[in-house]
Amino acid sequence: MLISLKWLDEYVDVPEDVSAFCDRLDLTGTGVEGVEKTGDVFERIVTAKVLEKTPHPDSDHMWVCQVDVGDCSLDDAGNPAPIQVVCGAQNFNEGDHIVTALVGATLPGDIHIKKSKLRGVMSCGMNCSERELGLSQDHGGIMILPEGTPTGMPFADYIHTTDTILDLEITPNRPDCLSVVGMAREVGAMYLADVRYPLEADAAKLEGYLNDREVSDDVTVHITDESRCNRYAARVIDDVKIGPSPAWLAERVVASGARSINNVVDATNYIMFLYGQPLHAFDAKSLTGPEGKMEVIVRPAHQGEEFTTLDGVERVLTEDMTVIATPERAVALAGVMGGLDSEVEDDTTCILLETATFDRSHTSRTSRNLGLISEASMRYERGVDDVPIEEISEAAAALIAEVAGGTVRKGVVDVYPHATEPYDLTFRIERFQRFVGADIPEVFIEDVLARLGCVVTSAGDGALAVITPTFRPDLEREIDLYEEVLRLWGMDRVESTLPASPKRVGMRTHEQTIIRKLHEVLTGSGISETMTYSFVEPTDLSRLRFDEEVLDANVELLNPLNSDQSVMRQSILPGLLKSLAYNLSHSVKNVQLYEIGTVFSTSQGRKKPKEKKKLAGVLAGSMAENSWNATYPPFDFFDGKGVFENIAWELALPKVHFKPASAESYPFLQPGRGAEMYSGGSLLGFVGELHPAIVADFDLIAPVVVFELDVANLVKSARPARDYRDVPIYPPVEIDQAFVVDEEITNERMMQVIASAGGNLLDDVVLFDVYRDDERVGANKKSMAYKLTYRVADRTLTNEEVDRAHAKLLKKVQGATGAEVRG
Amino acid sequence: MSLVDELNALDSRVADQIAGACSTHELEAVRVEVLGKSGELTRHLRAMGSIPKEERAEVGKLVNQIKASVEEALDAKFRLLKNQEMEVLIDSSSIDITLPGRAQHLGTRHLINGIVDEISDIFLGLGYSVMEGPEVETDYYNFEALNAPADHPSRSMQDTFYVKDLSGDVANVRGESDVLLRTQTSGVQVHAMETQELPIYVIAPGKVYRRDVADPSHLPQFHQIEGLVVDKGITFGDLKGTLEFFCKQVFGEQRRTRFRAHYFPFTEPSAEVDVSCGICHGEGCRMCKGTGWLEILGCGMVDPNVLEMSNIDPEVYSGFAFGMGVERIACLKYDVPDLRMLLEGDMRFLRQF
Repeated sequence: MLISLKWLDEYVDVPEDVSAFCDRLDLTGTGVEGVEKTGDVFERIVTAKVLEKTPHPDSDHMWVCQVDVGDCSLDDAGNPAPIQVVCGAQNFNEGDHIVTALVGATLPGDIHIKKSKLRGVMSCGMNCSERELGLSQDHGGIMILPEGTPTGMPFADYIHTTDTILDLEITPNRPDCLSVVGMAREVGAMYLADVRYPLEADAAKLEGYLNDREVSDDVTVHITDESRCNRYAARVIDDVKIGPSPAWLAERVVASGARSINNVVDATNYIMFLYGQPLHAFDAKSLTGPEGKMEVIVRPAHQGEEFTTLDGVERVLTEDMTVIATPERAVALAGVMGGLDSEVEDDTTCILLETATFDRSHTSRTSRNLGLISEASMRYERGVDDVPIEEISEAAAALIAEVAGGTVRKGVVDVYPHATEPYDLTFRIERFQRFVGADIPEVFIEDVLARLGCVVTSAGDGALAVITPTFRPDLEREIDLYEEVLRLWGMDRVESTLPASPKRVGMRTHEQTIIRKLHEVLTGSGISETMTYSFVEPTDLSRLRFDEEVLDANVELLNPLNSDQSVMRQSILPGLLKSLAYNLSHSVKNVQLYEIGTVFSTSQGRKKPKEKKKLAGVLAGSMAENSWNATYPPFDFFDGKGVFENIAWELALPKVHFKPASAESYPFLQPGRGAEMYSGGSLLGFVGELHPAIVADFDLIAPVVVFELDVANLVKSARPARDYRDVPIYPPVEIDQAFVVDEEITNERMMQVIASAGGNLLDDVVLFDVYRDDERVGANKKSMAYKLTYRVADRTLTNEEVDRAHAKLLKKVQGATGAEVRG
Repeated sequence: MSLVDELNALDSRVADQIAGACSTHELEAVRVEVLGKSGELTRHLRAMGSIPKEERAEVGKLVNQIKASVEEALDAKFRLLKNQEMEVLIDSSSIDITLPGRAQHLGTRHLINGIVDEISDIFLGLGYSVMEGPEVETDYYNFEALNAPADHPSRSMQDTFYVKDLSGDVANVRGESDVLLRTQTSGVQVHAMETQELPIYVIAPGKVYRRDVADPSHLPQFHQIEGLVVDKGITFGDLKGTLEFFCKQVFGEQRRTRFRAHYFPFTEPSAEVDVSCGICHGEGCRMCKGTGWLEILGCGMVDPNVLEMSNIDPEVYSGFAFGMGVERIACLKYDVPDLRMLLEGDMRFLRQF
């Protein structure tokens, strides 16, 4: 909200030091988002006098003027020198005092004044109209100032607009601060300063403008649903003349952030900015029925009712919205915006003035449903006080009569179903002091609450009885008063302490411990953590060649930012592949990324989707560029599997084994180069090389290794520690043994057979070579070489024992696998 | 020449040979020549039997003397040469130690999660537990139970992503829904109060969503850390002390904090917390937009309505809550020029943290 300090100063003394004032506002809860000196707007715009006016030689409507701008233009000797200005206005004569924008000035609307030629004649400035100065809509000609106005005076000084405008962040709980008077009250409480409230005097002015007619003779108001409208007061002003506002009024309205439109609309806006009460001025003739009566009805809109708001937009209404209507048709959208057909126009002579309050929730929903936020709706949805409506209505009618001429009918049609009641609260002083942790004195508490508008009396027993004002809907409980006193006392004055609880312990959950280990293993494996968007394209999974029929339903956003981000991800992989593509397109070839994050899916009938935590990774290129002393081969399946083995080791996963990944379950993996990892019977995830078709689709370079693990299953399978085995005391006997086997025989099979064939003496088996050669090994065969370690825990084995055991092992392996034994 | 003379000649010749040996290899050849299986001295020893009895004692004694002295000389020379050879080897093995080492390639944590862990550790040290909540929430947990019922004006402070509700329920406002992407981690407060025993000391880091187009200073998804304490006798001073401690831990001992009154529906009183600008130390600069202060977090005493909704008696218990944006802290610590870099996965960016 914009607020003029000059205006505010009329009701409460504003401190001279603006920066200290802004700090105090900030600390007490009114955020200052901007500070602007409005005199700045009129920089290089000065008062001037027309010395000479001659017709433009090349135009039938323009004039070439010699303009005295005082000291603002000097000749070489330092004496004032007139400037030449080409001007198209017709309403001035030689000798008139005017307003001229000099070269370098910027007029409202971002018009920069430059030296330029107009039809061949040099012009060194611009004579300004009121509209060009942003003062009013008057563009009938240039602004003429009174005889005797000095020349060369900054225009800001001339019209006293040197003002400071603050842009305040008013929090949603403080509707009372959305007004100059409300802010004056707040400032009064901030500085314990007295406030000069203007309403009584403003309302009293009405007496001087009354005519003989009675408003209730011709006007009726009917509220069909009292829950939507708490109070509706109507007055009628006759014989107004619509025209530009006087400068002081336009200045106030502009300083508050509105445009100056005409005297009547500006007057209603002025009252709204001053008191926080939105008003609406109807052209009475648009409300008047055939018998000359005005029948105002406040009713729910009809479902599908069409209505054109005064911004010219045709809107379709719902029953949840409220309209102001005549028996024939709606004329305003209650609390939000007036109608195009009933707005005040240049020929309007009679005005029906609405001063009302509308329900907060209905206004808020209407505003959101129509995407229409106005100064009025913003105030109504936060809460407008119904109590002072009659006086504000008087003040507003008087102001309209004052600035637009006319007279006001006697009385008011005021339908007021139920007045808002103030709250009676108890303020327990000692409890408050304990709650804050500071001894804030009772006298301060009483004073500050009273300045905020509360009625404070002693309730005995260390408590205060507090009646809160109706303009503070946020003060309904004792705690709300605590906040008021604390913020105005100063949060910085409270001593800092730490909670003294004897009963707390901080610890990670099992899952959090496991996840932290996963991060350690993955970074230790050379992979860097990343993050990708949770929202993705709906087609992401079909790009991974998934059959959409078999998938869970996507979680759809109702209001996505764009169609590329319209569903929640069911897999982290597409995001990682996009990050990989991003790296490749920026010449980064070696990519090792992982993410631990949430994936989402749902099904018909569910409210909340299923959320699962997954760990996914992608490896492409190699671990690093080859260096002078190290080489890094391109990544393949086994790099991904190695990561899994590290995880299995670190989480002490029991009974880990790998199974080939089927093409049906993993359509995005290259067949034959993917695996599932299990711990016991629990499927933990997959690892494999990306299918070449997908590599091409995502613009990647093969091979790309991808993997994913289900975090919940990892957490379930993880054990706190590995089993301890005694460190061997006796020496081993090691035998390197190669077996030539058919391609179909897997390493897993060999390991099983060897382990069972080796009996108690075989301590360890490590595969150290796999070798293929059609001639030396044979077609469709491979040589697999294992280092076999024979050892027992309680003695040194003899050669004979080992030889016997090894011979038995060879025989059994041959029998079980058809292996041919090579030395 | 007598045998004794012959032996003496051998002794002096071998002594010369030992002295002349330039390497352990040459020295070994000398040893073999003299003391090897068919070495000269060995031969003399073997021939002792053929020496006349009366000379045998003298010759035997001499041979043994020579053997002992040769062995001693060989040994001394061997140690000398071995040392020399080691020196030579060391001299010739000198390397350019500025060449790169052979390191295990390590990955890095993401900047944001790194900060989340750092902050979690601070609060674990203060006796808090770490809790998580769902990213898709119902209106109740994101707003209503936090004292912001339907149509509450505070809801417009956050632009919400709504999720299609497949349960059949219909929302009051077109385009809205009872199911949404959480706009704040504050909902975890409600889950904590519903599920945990008192007293409660938790923090809840997590991803949140708001409908902001991604640009250098906004992301539609970002991270918050929520904190909640509910215990007997908790004061506003406790809130201040806790957050001052936290700010000093994260930003440094010399940083100051200030509390500005503010409004949040679920705390009362509420405040925003600023930390003094680390660049200008409060003088005012471009970083802090001339104010000398940087906004870090929002906080307040838990509103009694919120406690009551979770069946906690506000006359007995009080508490405080706070929330902070992790990206904001990341930017203040690292001056990240464009928040979108956090989600691009560029290795050159990620590997810096």
